[in-house]
Amino acid sequence: MRILQKLFITGITLASFSGMAEISVIVNNDNASTLDEKLVKRIYLGKAKSFPAGGKVTALTLKDDAPVSEAFRQNVLKKSNSQYKSHWSKLAFTGKGTPPTEVSSESEMISTVKSDVTAIGFVDSASVTSDVKVVARF
Amino acid sequence: MKFCKLAQLSFVSLLTVSLSASAEINLSGFASINAGKVLSGSGVPQFDVPPTFLADYPIVSSYQDEWDFDPESLFGLQASASLGDGLSATAQIVARGANSWDPEFEWAYISYDVNDEWTIQAGKKRLPLFYYSDFYDVGYAYVWMRAPADNYTWQIFNYTGVNALYTTDVGDWSVSTNFYLGKEDDKDNKLLGDFFFAAETREIWKDIVGGVVNLSKDWLEIRLTHMQYTNERYIGGIRQTWGGDDQRGGKFYGIAANADFEQFFILTELSRLDLEFDGNLDTQMITFGYRMNDFTPYIAYSKMEQKGDDVIDGENHSTTAIGLRWDFHSSAAFKVQFDKVKDNSFDFAVAGDSEALTFGIDLVF
Repeated sequence: MRILQKLFITGITLASFSGMAEISVIVNNDNASTLDEKLVKRIYLGKAKSFPAGGKVTALTLKDDAPVSEAFRQNVLKKSNSQYKSHWSKLAFTGKGTPPTEVSSESEMISTVKSDVTAIGFVDSASVTSDVKVVARF
Repeated sequence: MKFCKLAQLSFVSLLTVSLSASAEINLSGFASINAGKVLSGSGVPQFDVPPTFLADYPIVSSYQDEWDFDPESLFGLQASASLGDGLSATAQIVARGANSWDPEFEWAYISYDVNDEWTIQAGKKRLPLFYYSDFYDVGYAYVWMRAPADNYTWQIFNYTGVNALYTTDVGDWSVSTNFYLGKEDDKDNKLLGDFFFAAETREIWKDIVGGVVNLSKDWLEIRLTHMQYTNERYIGGIRQTWGGDDQRGGKFYGIAANADFEQFFILTELSRLDLEFDGNLDTQMITFGYRMNDFTPYIAYSKMEQKGDDVIDGENHSTTAIGLRWDFHSSAAFKVQFDKVKDNSFDFAVAGDSEALTFGIDLVF
């Protein structure tokens, strides 16, 4: 009985993970760079400051409590919200970096990336429009 | 962290009316509201020190046998103006309960990004001796209530000068380095004046030259550092001499290694200050922590020991700590920590043995 219960719960957990929305990393349509997971991670942890094809990076993030932010930090950056914010606090308050700029919604994320060639952001893949270019999916 | 630009606009616009309209200003900050008390302690009878837990050596901030909110509570505000083309100016002001909440500039510097890899900075900064030195005030950024007090004892913690940051990649490793030059002249040093010499002490560290190399890959981070300086000191207005010379040299060496296996992590740090006529002042610390969702229990040990030919009964103390961090909010953490301190020196006893309980909230915004 116990084991059955455990299996059942595990099944639900797996289902909810696999059902989690896919995340798309987006850049401006005029940005010619290709990005891999490692570079996305480096950009969002302040270790890379420019695109491979040249030009500085302006990284954007959604709010801390947005499910897409949590999933992006956990799955791509391998950091909990607390680890992510600790990391950036350490850089920001010691003159070693500026954290990603927060935008309030996915639509604002898309409109900002559309109008700024230096921008990089992430949204739920279901929210992507032709206004932006997807460079990676997680 | 919310470097939110709009919410503070009304406030910032008051501060920046005279600034160029193109400057983009980011305001951010951090705060800690902590409380604690000594549960039991020996004090230092030979120096008339009552039972005391010294939580912050440099500013001589301590708890005694009554609950106190002042020793480690602080509020920090950072304003950074981006002037375009890689040039920026940053100031950080910190008000401390330990200092009657008088706001003081801890950082004030300009920064210029030469290119992707090099950044040159100049102004007043934190002296990056230890791993946690330069973000010591930002409690949210580390697991404990405070960076191990035994280790973070140096009387000079700021400097004014220039530094160059260089970051690059070597294979799987991220490399970030910092080279710095500068000076600090502290007219009334609290640690030396209040605790060690009981007379107003002017402490000068000049010709400071130092470097930090930080190597990191997924789960491992190693930090190496070296710094040297020339020390001059006036006690009660009288210039000190060491072996007939009115200055002496100090050399600092440090290595820190942190390993992070997702849930389980280990933090370590070793350092040595080789100070002429004071021997070697060695520190060690190790911390084990385990993350369980929003809860991170940890256990820590730290030690400082002074040894050398000219040293008979030098500074010698250690701390064992156990604590819990709870990330109850996306920008705030609650922490509680129990510390047991052993002070093994008579001549250079600092605060005696003690057991203390501290707790509080750290946040960033």
